[in-house]
Amino acid sequence: MQMRFTACWLFGLFVFGSARAEIPPQPAAILNKYCLDCHDSDSEKGDVNLDALAIDWTMEKARELWEHVLDASEDGLMPPPDKPQPTAEERQVLYDWLDAKLLEHTPIGGTLPRRLNQPEYEQTIRKLLGLADFKLPIGFPKDTEFHGFDNIGEGLLLSPPLMEAYATVAWEIADEIYPPKKPAPKSTTRTAMPEDMVISFSASSVRGDALRLASRHPNIMRSCTWPSRIEVKRSGVYRITINGSTFKPVSDEPMILELTARDVTASDRSNIDVFRVIKEIPFSTESPKAVTFEAELYEGQTVMMRWTNAELTHDGKELEKLMRVKLAENPRYLAAWQKAVFPHGKPKGPRVTVLRGANGWRIVKKHMADPNLDMSQATMDSEMTKALLVAFRNGKTNIADALCHNYFENGPSLELHAVTIEGPLKIVDGPKDLRRASLQEKIAGSKQGDLCDEAFAREALTNFLPRAFRKQVDSETVERYLAIAKEHWAAGHSFDEGMHLLLRNILISPRFLYRALGTGKMDDHDLGTRLSYFLTQRPSDATLIDLGNRKRLSPAWVLKRESERLMPTRPTDAFVQSFTGQWLDTALLPEIMPDTKFNFTPFYIDHAQKEVSYFFAEMLSKNRPMTDFIDPDFTWTSPLFAKNVYKLNIKHKKGKDRNFGRVELERGGRVGGLLGQSAIMIATANGVDTQPVLRGVWMLENILGMPPPEPPKDVPVLTPDTQGATTPRELLAAHTKDAACATCHESIDPLGFVLENYDPVGRWRERWPKSNAKIDPTGVLPDGTPIANVVDLKKWMVENIDLFSQCLAEKLMTYATGRVPNYAERSEIKSIVKKNHENGNGFQDLVLALIESETFRTY
Amino acid sequence: MPSTLFQQSRRHFLRGASATIALPVLETFSADSTPADGPRNFVAVGTYLGWHQNAFFPKQTGKDYEISPTLSPLTRFRDDFTIFSGLDHRAPNGHQSWSNFLCGQAPRAWSLDQMIADELGEKSRFSSLQLTAGSGESGIGSKAISFTRQGIPLPMIQRPSVLYKKLFMSTADRARAEYVIGSGRSALDDLLEDAKRLQKSLPHSDSEKLEEYFDSVRAVEKRMGRQLEAINDPVPQPDYKLPSYDPVTPNLQIEAETILYDLMVLALQTDSTRVISLFLDGLGQVFSFDGNALGSGYHGLSHHGNDPAMIRELVSIETAHMHCFAGFMKQLKEKKNAQGRSLLDDTIIMLGTGMGDASRHSSRNLPTLLAGGGFAHQGHIGIDEKQSDSLLLGDLCITMMQKLGMEVDQFSNAQRNMNQLLS
Repeated sequence: MQMRFTACWLFGLFVFGSARAEIPPQPAAILNKYCLDCHDSDSEKGDVNLDALAIDWTMEKARELWEHVLDASEDGLMPPPDKPQPTAEERQVLYDWLDAKLLEHTPIGGTLPRRLNQPEYEQTIRKLLGLADFKLPIGFPKDTEFHGFDNIGEGLLLSPPLMEAYATVAWEIADEIYPPKKPAPKSTTRTAMPEDMVISFSASSVRGDALRLASRHPNIMRSCTWPSRIEVKRSGVYRITINGSTFKPVSDEPMILELTARDVTASDRSNIDVFRVIKEIPFSTESPKAVTFEAELYEGQTVMMRWTNAELTHDGKELEKLMRVKLAENPRYLAAWQKAVFPHGKPKGPRVTVLRGANGWRIVKKHMADPNLDMSQATMDSEMTKALLVAFRNGKTNIADALCHNYFENGPSLELHAVTIEGPLKIVDGPKDLRRASLQEKIAGSKQGDLCDEAFAREALTNFLPRAFRKQVDSETVERYLAIAKEHWAAGHSFDEGMHLLLRNILISPRFLYRALGTGKMDDHDLGTRLSYFLTQRPSDATLIDLGNRKRLSPAWVLKRESERLMPTRPTDAFVQSFTGQWLDTALLPEIMPDTKFNFTPFYIDHAQKEVSYFFAEMLSKNRPMTDFIDPDFTWTSPLFAKNVYKLNIKHKKGKDRNFGRVELERGGRVGGLLGQSAIMIATANGVDTQPVLRGVWMLENILGMPPPEPPKDVPVLTPDTQGATTPRELLAAHTKDAACATCHESIDPLGFVLENYDPVGRWRERWPKSNAKIDPTGVLPDGTPIANVVDLKKWMVENIDLFSQCLAEKLMTYATGRVPNYAERSEIKSIVKKNHENGNGFQDLVLALIESETFRTY
Repeated sequence: MPSTLFQQSRRHFLRGASATIALPVLETFSADSTPADGPRNFVAVGTYLGWHQNAFFPKQTGKDYEISPTLSPLTRFRDDFTIFSGLDHRAPNGHQSWSNFLCGQAPRAWSLDQMIADELGEKSRFSSLQLTAGSGESGIGSKAISFTRQGIPLPMIQRPSVLYKKLFMSTADRARAEYVIGSGRSALDDLLEDAKRLQKSLPHSDSEKLEEYFDSVRAVEKRMGRQLEAINDPVPQPDYKLPSYDPVTPNLQIEAETILYDLMVLALQTDSTRVISLFLDGLGQVFSFDGNALGSGYHGLSHHGNDPAMIRELVSIETAHMHCFAGFMKQLKEKKNAQGRSLLDDTIIMLGTGMGDASRHSSRNLPTLLAGGGFAHQGHIGIDEKQSDSLLLGDLCITMMQKLGMEVDQFSNAQRNMNQLLS
C-alpha cells in the first residue's frame, strides 16, 4: 500500500503538478480505524472509496466526496450503529481537518449566466419599454426547474426553439412600437339602415322603416343602438349623417339624440360615461330630417346613439315615480299591470321573470283587452297598487324592458331612419398612434432640432442600451449596434424600419437575455440587478440604476436601506408568490385536482394557496421570529375553511368580517404554522392518497434541510396504499428491516407518519379511510426524541429552530443567487443564522443579513 | 405579423411567426397523413346557455326516433350522428358549471380538446384552434371552454379576418414576413460579433454556458434561410370571400357562426389543425329572423320560466345555431379524400354544453350530440341517469379519445367507455 501511494503521488506531482495534499496522520488513523473496512478500494460500499493517502482539493469531485464524509460523521449516520463508533474527540479531529480544508479550497461564487426566466422577462419588457400589459404568449417554451427553482443559472437552458420564440416575440414587440406603414386608406361611404343596427335587450325596435328608441338609461345595453357592421379602420375625421324623426311627441320640446364614439368591440355592459360624446342633435319633426356633421372616429370605432331626454329609464326609483303618474291616469292600465305582475290575485310574490321585453308588454295588453279584467283593486291607494309600485322599483330591469315596447308602439319615441359614415376625410392620430409615439419616445427620447438620423439614433442608443443591458455600455458596443441600423438605412429603409430592426436585435442579444455575467465581487450595477430581481422579479428601478452609476450601492448601509425599500410586504407581491410557490411546492396546487370524494373545490384550492402567501407575507414584513414559521400565535384563514379543514372553531367577534382574515391562535396547538397547512399537505400528496415516505422526504428536503440520499437503485419503489387494509406502518416495517434502508428511513418515516393525520387535502383525520384503523402518528426523531403527534414535532422544531432557519436561508440564497450554495457559502449562511438567532431571530433580519453576505455579493 | 401581444393578446397566435411562416398548402388532405382507419380530427361545439331540453331530445330512443324541433335542420344527416340524453359530469349546479363542458367534473381542468391536441396536435401547423361567436370581444377572457393542462383558459379567436389571416397568409403578409426575416438574418452578423466580444470578457464557465446561445442562434439562422426559401413557393389561396367587416358584436352571432364554420372546414381540409373548439356565447342580443326581431334578448329568453312564447323564441335561436351546424356537416360530408372517405368520417364532432337547463342553472342531463368520426351511429341513446352506475359524459369522452387512437381509460370522474354502444 505504501508503494502504491508513492507511485501515485509521484505520478500526480509530475504529470499534473497539482495540489495534492497528504492526509495528516491523525485523521488518517481515524479513517483507517473506522471507515476503510467498508470504504476501501476493494469493498467500495455505497460507491464510496476513502482509500487514499493524499487528496487533490482542487478537484470538485474530491471536495464533494469529503464533504459527504463530513456530513455523515457529523449527523452520526456513519459508521452504522452496528459498527464500532469513534469517540467525540475523534469525530472532532475529523471535522476540524475537513472543515478547514473544504473552506480553504471552496471559492465563494460561480453563478452561471442566468437567462431571464418567464416572469422576469415579462416584467423586464414592461418596465424597459413601457408596455404595461405585455404578456408572453401561452405556448411560449417553459423554463426548466433546477434544485426546486426556475431561476437557477445552470437550469435556465437556451435551445433553438426558445431562441426562435424570443426572436418572434421581439418581432411582435417591434411591430407594436415601430409598426409597418399602412397603405393610404380609401375613403368609403357606408350606410346602416334600421335593420343593420344593434338591438340589445329592449333598447330599440324596428317599426316600419325606422328604428325606435325609448329609454335613456346609462347602461348602454338597455338604451343604445349602433351600426355593428361599420367599423372604422383608420383614425380620422369622418362625415356622419343621421336621418331621424320624432314619433308621437307629447310636447314641443325637441328630442335630443346623443352620439358617442364606441369601439365596436366594447363590452355591452359598459356605462355611457366611458364613451366620448361627439354630437347632440335635437329632432322636433315627425317627418325625417337628415343632419350632417364631421367628427373624429378612431381605429375600431363606430357611432353609438341614445335618446338622452326620454322620459323612461331603467332606474328603479325613477321608474316607480314615472309609473305612479301613468297608472293614476288609467285604472284599466293599472289593473292590467296588477294582473301581469300578480297573476294569482294576491299582492305578494311578484312574477317578473316572464315579463321581459315584448313578451311582458304582450301580456299587459292581453289583460287590458280582457273584458273580465278584475278592476276591484284599481285605485292608487290599494294594497295591490302599493305592492305593484314596489315591484316596479325592485323588478326594474325586466319591467322597464317590457315598458319600452309600450313606447315603441304608442310613443313617444325617437326614430332613426339611416346612419351614414363617410371617410376618412383626413387622417388623425388616434389613441393607439399617440401611445406608439410615447413608446417610441421612451426608447429614443425626442428628436432635437435638425439632428440627423444617425446622430439621433446614436444618442438614443447611448441612453437606451445601458437600460436594456442593465450595465454601463462602452461606445464600441453602441457603434456595433448602431451599425445594424446604419446598414439598413444605407439599403434604402426608413428611420423607423432601422429602429425596428435594431430593437429586435437588442432583445435577442445575450446582454439582454442574460444576467450575472462576471467573476469575483459584483459591481454596483449587477448587485442592484441581483437585488431587484430577487425581491421584486423586476429589473433595477431608477434609484438602483443611479446608485449603480455612482458606484454607491455596495456600502452595507446603502444596500440595507435599498433592500428595506424593496422588501415585499403584500401577499400578492411577486417574490412572495414565486418563492413560496416553489419552496413549498404550492405552485403545483392547480395541477393537483383533489379527488371528488374530498369535496375540495377550486375555490378551496385558491383559499389554501392564499393562506400560505398571507402567512409568509406577514412573517416577512413584520419581521416575525423564525419560530413563528412553526408555532405562531396567528394564522390567515376563514372560519368556514378552518372549521371544515382544520376542525377549528373560530369565535366571531361581533361585526367582524366572516371572510378570509387574520386569526389569533394560542401557541402550542395543532393549528398554525407551516406544518399541517392545507396547501402544503395537498402539495405533498397526490390528490388521492397520502404517502408517508414522500411527505417525510419532503420535510427533510424543504423544512429541515437534510435531504436524504437517493434510494439505492436495487430497491423497489414503495408506495403503501394508505386506503387498503394493511396499514402503511406494517408495510414499511417490513421494508426497513433491511439495514441498508434503515438508516435513511429512520429519519424519513417518523416525519411522514406524524403527518398522516392530514388527509390529501390537509383535512384533519384520526383514522385511515377504508380500513378505518386508527392512525398511529408516534415515532422517534433521529436524535432520539420521541414524539406522540404533530404538536410534539412542532415543539421539537422550535427547540431546534436553527435547523429550519438554515434550510430556509439556503433556499433563499439559492433563489437569490441562482446557484446552489457550496460548502463555504453554507458555512457563511450558518454563521449568519447563528448570529441572527442571537439577535431576536427576525425573518426579515435574516433576509437582510443574507443580502449583506459575501455569498450574495459574489457573481 | 400583427401585433398581438398587448391589449389584443387574447388573439395571440399560439405558435407565432414560426407557424405562420410554415405556409399552408391547399389540398384535399394528403393520403400519407391519414390513418388507414379511424378519424384524425376533433371538433367541439359548446353553447353558453345550453339547449332547451324538451326541444332538443327526441321523444323516442333508438334509430327510428321522430326528429325534434331543434334538430330539424339535421334531418338529412340523421345517420351521421347520435343524440345522447341523460349524460353529464355530475358537477354541482350553478353558474360556474357551464365551463365544465370539456373539462369533466371539475371546472378549469385540462379540457378534452386540449388533451387531444397535446397528443395529436403536433401533426399539424396549429396544435389546436379556439374560436368563439357572439362573445362581444371584451367579454372574452372571462369565459373559455378550452383549458391547458395547467388550467390556463385559452384565448379564443373571434374575428373571422384574424382566423383567415392565421390560416392563409396574403401576398402582403408574405412580403412583410420576407422583409422581417431577411433583415433579421442579415443583422445577425453584427449581433454575433458583439456576443463574441462579450464572451471573451467572461470567465471560462460563463463563456462555456454561452455556447448554448451561439448554437441556438446558428440554428435559428439556418431555419430563417429555409423559411425565406419557402416564402416564394407558389401557394394556392382558398376561393373564399370574407365580408368587409368582422361580425364581432353579439347580435351578429349567427352570421359569425356561419363564416367560422366555413373557415373550420378549410382549416381541417388543409390539415392546418386537427383540433378545434367553438364557443357560442349568449348575451342580451336580440336576434331578428326573417326581418322580425324577437321579443327578448338571448339570455333573457333562456330564463323562460316555462313561458311558452319565450320558449318558442329561445328554440328559434337554437334552431338557427343548428342550421349553421347543418351547413358545417354538409360541407364535411361533401369533401372526400383520394380513398373516397369523407372529411366527416375523418372528424369526430361533439356538440353540447355544460349547462343542462339555463332556466334553473342545472348541470344535469346535458344535451349532447356526437357526429361523424366513422362511428356506427345509433339515433337517440337514452341513459337512465337515475341509476347510480349509469354512464357519464366522461365515458363518451373516453370513447372519442380511443377512437382517435389515444391510449386513455380515464377522463375526469369517468373510467368506462361507450365503444360497445357505438359499434
